[in-house]
Amino acid sequence: MKHLKRSLTLPFAEASSVAVIILLIVAMLGFADATYLTIEHYRGVIPPCSIIKGCEIVLTSPYSVLFGVPVSLLGALYYLLVSLGAFIYLESKHGKGEIATHHSSILKWTLIITVFGFGMSLWFVYIQLFVLHSICTYCIGSALTSTILFITAIVMLRHSSIKQTEHMRNDSALPPELPQSI
Amino acid sequence: MNTKRLIFWASFIIILGLIIWGLFVAMNKPLDTTPTLGTPADVSSTDHARGSADASVTIIEYSDFQCPACATYYPLAERLLNESSTTVRFVYRHFPLYPVPHKNALMASEASEAAALQGKFWEMHDILFDNQKLWETSSTAGTIFETYAERIGLDVETYKKDVVSDVVKARVQKDWDEARTLGINSTPTFFVNGKAIVNPNGYEAFKAIIDSAIR
Repeated sequence: MKHLKRSLTLPFAEASSVAVIILLIVAMLGFADATYLTIEHYRGVIPPCSIIKGCEIVLTSPYSVLFGVPVSLLGALYYLLVSLGAFIYLESKHGKGEIATHHSSILKWTLIITVFGFGMSLWFVYIQLFVLHSICTYCIGSALTSTILFITAIVMLRHSSIKQTEHMRNDSALPPELPQSI
Repeated sequence: MNTKRLIFWASFIIILGLIIWGLFVAMNKPLDTTPTLGTPADVSSTDHARGSADASVTIIEYSDFQCPACATYYPLAERLLNESSTTVRFVYRHFPLYPVPHKNALMASEASEAAALQGKFWEMHDILFDNQKLWETSSTAGTIFETYAERIGLDVETYKKDVVSDVVKARVQKDWDEARTLGINSTPTFFVNGKAIVNPNGYEAFKAIIDSAIR
C-alpha cells in the first residue's frame, strides 16, 4: 500500500514490455467484448430468452444505460483508452527507441484509470447478482478483463515504486561532493 | 515519423478496425443452426390466430409476454400480417419462462387467457407487449393487469375470477407442455408451416423467409 501511494507521486520507472503487452492484449479483448455489446444495443437485436440464461434481462435493464448512453459504449471507450495508453508507451519504447517523460506519465495514468474500470465492474457484478438475479456472460467477460487489467496495473505501479525508491536510496548514498549525475 | 513507427501505428489501427469489422460481419451472419425441434400440433379452434384461415403460410410463435426479444418481434409479426394478411396466418402459443428468468410471465399468460374468455385475447396480447417495461419486474403485476383488463373493455369482475381459474391455468399449461415436448428451450421460437426457423435478424429477413414459404 505504501509503495502504491508513493507510485502516484513519483515519476514512473521503466515498465516491463511483457506487462505492457499483457495490458494491451487484455484491453483489446475487453474492447472487442464491449464493442459487441454496443453493436447489439444499437441494432436493437435482443438475444432470445432462454430457460437457463438471463442475458436479455441484464442487457435490457435500466442499469444498462447511463444518461442515455449504453454502459457497453462507455466500457468500449474505457478499453480503447487503456489500449491506446499501453500502445503509446510500447511504441515509444520500441518504435522510437527511447521513452519520453510524458509517455511514462501516459502509462502511469492509464494504470490509474484501471482502478475506476475495476470499480465499475464490481458495481455491475453486484447489480447482476443481487438486483437483477441474472447473469450475462459477456458482461462477466468484461468484469474478468477489467479485473486482469487492474491486477496487472497494481503490480506495475508497485514495481515502479520499489524501483524508484531504490533509485533514490542509491542517489542519497552518494558522497555530497560528487555530482549526482555520476 | 520514421517507417518503423508508422508500421507500429498502422498495425494498431488496423487491428482495432479488424475487431470492429469482424464483429459486424459475424453479427450480421445468421446462425446456420436451424433448431432441431419437433413438429407443432395443427392449429385448432382453441388456438389464438390472426390472419386468414386459408392462408398459405402459418406462423406459430411460442412466446413469453415478459421476454424482451418477443416484444421486439411483436411489431415485426404485426407488420408482416398487415402487409400480407391474406397469405399469412399468425398463431400465438404460450411458453412463459417461469419462475426464472421471468417471474411475471406466467401471470401475464393467464391474464391473456382470461381476456380470451371474453373474446379479447389479442387486445390483452398487444397491451402486455406495449407496456412490458412497466410490469416486467413489478411485484404488483396482477393489479397492473387488472387495469389493462379495464382499459381493453373487459368485465373486470369476471376477469378477476377467470384469471385464477383452473380453466385458464390448464390452457396455458397445455401450450407449455407441448413446447417442452417439442424441445423448445427459448423464446421466441417460430415455426413456419410447421418447420422451426432461425430467428431472423429483422423485418426484411423475416419477410424473405415468409416469401420463400409462399413460393
